[in-house]
Amino acid sequence: MNTHEYDAVVIGGGIAGFLAALNLVDAGFKTAVISRGDPVCCLSTGCIDVLSRALDPLKTIKELPEDHPYRIVGKKGVTESLAYFIEVMKETTIPYRGDPKKNREILTPVGTIKKTCLVPETMAHAPGNNEDHIHIISFKGIKDFYPSYITSRISNTEFSVFDAKSVSTIGIAGRFEDKDFLRNFISWAQDLDIPYGKVALPAVLGLNNPMEIVKELSSRINKEVFEIPTLPPSIPGMRLFRALKSVLQTRGGHVYWGKTVSSVERQGPRIEAVTLAASGRPSRVYGRAFILATGSFVSGGLFALRDSVKETVFDLPVFVPGHRKDWFNNDFFTPGHAIEKAGILIDSSFRPKESSLENLFVCGSIIAHSEIMKNQCGHGLAIATGSAAAKKCIGELS
Amino acid sequence: MTFEHCVRCTICVENCPIFKVEPKFPGPKQSGPDAQRFRLDGEASVDEWVRLCCQCKRCEVSCPYGVNVADIILNAQLKYSSEHFSPFAAHLFANTNYLGMLASQFAPVTNKITSLALTRKILSLMGLSTHLPLPEYRFLSMSRGRRKKGKGLKKVVFFHGCYLNYNRPDIGRGIRDLLVSLGCRVVIPHQMCCGLPSLGNGDKEMALRFAKKNAATLVEYINKGYSVVYACTSCGLTLVHDYPEILKIPEGKRIAENTYNVHEYILGLIEDGYAKIRFGEVNKKLAYHIPCHLRALGIGYPAARLFEKIPSLEVHILEDNCCGLSGSYGFKKKNQASSIKLGEIASSVILKTGAEALISDCGACRMQLGAFSSLPALDPSQIIIESLQNAPGQTKQ
Repeated sequence: MNTHEYDAVVIGGGIAGFLAALNLVDAGFKTAVISRGDPVCCLSTGCIDVLSRALDPLKTIKELPEDHPYRIVGKKGVTESLAYFIEVMKETTIPYRGDPKKNREILTPVGTIKKTCLVPETMAHAPGNNEDHIHIISFKGIKDFYPSYITSRISNTEFSVFDAKSVSTIGIAGRFEDKDFLRNFISWAQDLDIPYGKVALPAVLGLNNPMEIVKELSSRINKEVFEIPTLPPSIPGMRLFRALKSVLQTRGGHVYWGKTVSSVERQGPRIEAVTLAASGRPSRVYGRAFILATGSFVSGGLFALRDSVKETVFDLPVFVPGHRKDWFNNDFFTPGHAIEKAGILIDSSFRPKESSLENLFVCGSIIAHSEIMKNQCGHGLAIATGSAAAKKCIGELS
Repeated sequence: MTFEHCVRCTICVENCPIFKVEPKFPGPKQSGPDAQRFRLDGEASVDEWVRLCCQCKRCEVSCPYGVNVADIILNAQLKYSSEHFSPFAAHLFANTNYLGMLASQFAPVTNKITSLALTRKILSLMGLSTHLPLPEYRFLSMSRGRRKKGKGLKKVVFFHGCYLNYNRPDIGRGIRDLLVSLGCRVVIPHQMCCGLPSLGNGDKEMALRFAKKNAATLVEYINKGYSVVYACTSCGLTLVHDYPEILKIPEGKRIAENTYNVHEYILGLIEDGYAKIRFGEVNKKLAYHIPCHLRALGIGYPAARLFEKIPSLEVHILEDNCCGLSGSYGFKKKNQASSIKLGEIASSVILKTGAEALISDCGACRMQLGAFSSLPALDPSQIIIESLQNAPGQTKQ
């Protein structure tokens, strides 16, 4: 058996887990992140929804039910964590911008307008109103991006199509890493003689340094260029994940990928170590404190049985809203299915309620009463609770 | 097979280097779990494109649902190859073991011949890619050197693999001597190729022959209290994963439990308090290209943890790109275009860090990225050795 010793061990490599780990590393603690695979953040738009149903997310926090995680973090905590996130992202190739007091609007691939809070710099020029004229550049055969959806909904738009010899977002983004391809593309775009001031493309402008490409294209065609987030596989989501992972490693955090926790060692009210399954020798990871950031159902942190819900790592008690027949609305698309409330109940120190564990902290969408779909608060909740849980954990470790 | 557990989230697709650059490859989701439901027993394989997968295992590492995507694809590749004619290049690279033996026997002549323009033309006609110079072979391979060294209490059997054996025995001997200096008794038994090149080129029979011979040797040493130590992360993954899971070697589990990455082993010696090492300064800025197979081993990045102990050393960890060579994959002409594109992407990320040299545990990554970036390409052990040499005073046991 291999053994590794850490001050803090974060289980779950999504946004919540990374924010928790970054806070811990910055406070000088030896920290590891264990992840079973890449997080669902890779499937997201890459935008940070804080509370997208309202106009002013921070002000609306107090209108949420008392047991919502944002209420436990508090307005001040949410504000600080978002500022911290923006600071962290400045170090990467995709800085973020936005105002937590005022949501902004972005264009979706179906021509609707979506509210969000922080956006990657590549989407900064998305219009905030319906008056702007936009020229959309699409790619021949690209899957799940149909510019006529947009032009049919928004009148001041038109589009042209470039043949990138690839039909997937990943494939096209890969092409943009090639200098010759970019040169050809730009000269094609110059020849279009676009009359409008704004040019939109699906989010495929490279994988490693998209802002370089946005800036080059923008200066060569003399337009404001912005990306429109696409359906999965989503490049902006993947960029966000990779950027956070890279900052964590640069600051001295360790990562273990593709690893499932196969067993947990407890000593009274404390978790001593977790064992990671492997083809060969399993490894045992010791920690003075643990942070659970495994996410909800989609991420595998929660698992639904016929009439109950399990927490998959520590088998913590899970809050479930009533009987199975009460879990779902009849209409799939109605926001606010009760099952969204399922999760781990936490106390004000982010420890799980109804459990005697002293050195375990919980963050992210696994927390009960998050209701992420209803409140549209996924990434914002991850950032806020990840930072908040880490702060409580730092208190425990110090 | 756990292909039923796939929820079609496409995270594996996001991580596939080949899908990114080769439009003919439908990606890991479609080649793996999607196509698996049509691969019925007793039916002939029709999925020739499945051979375009380079087996970097990034899909499998990234899968949040634990689907063994890469294994599903590897088994489909082996099935396809067993039913169809394999091109010459595949036969050639499946035989890396014998190729190395032969080339090293006549090393000066081999190197001369492979560097000739005419030879390269002939190789190209035979389906080999010539975008990289073929690796040089050394006459004084590791298998010709001392087979035992050191008298320490820690017993190590060193699995050097083909590349260190035939192409870079200097690095191999450096690792052997490093282990000896840390108080290990190192044995280098007669060993065959790990079998990965044969698996990657569709020859399961040959892989099985190699694996059985190696397993017998290694188990004999394990029974005498030795630990198996590897430096090549692809050999390591084959011993730990493919022996028990793909080749179903009966002793596979036991070998996997007793096999260590060399830096993982050294970290263990330090943590146990067995080796007291003083790391000297290494005033360098390095880009650490993590080999795909080190990621897939799931042991973290042990060399990076040793680097953290070296004063004045600045290391950038780069783990999101495959170098594109992927063993013999990029040496085949049909894969040349993909290999070049991936090499360019990975090396541009390396060059952006402003590093003066790149490091990687994998010989193939070093060959490819050294050529594309024009930077010196080093094995992590070379940095560790440099640090120990710069330490004030001697290493104490």
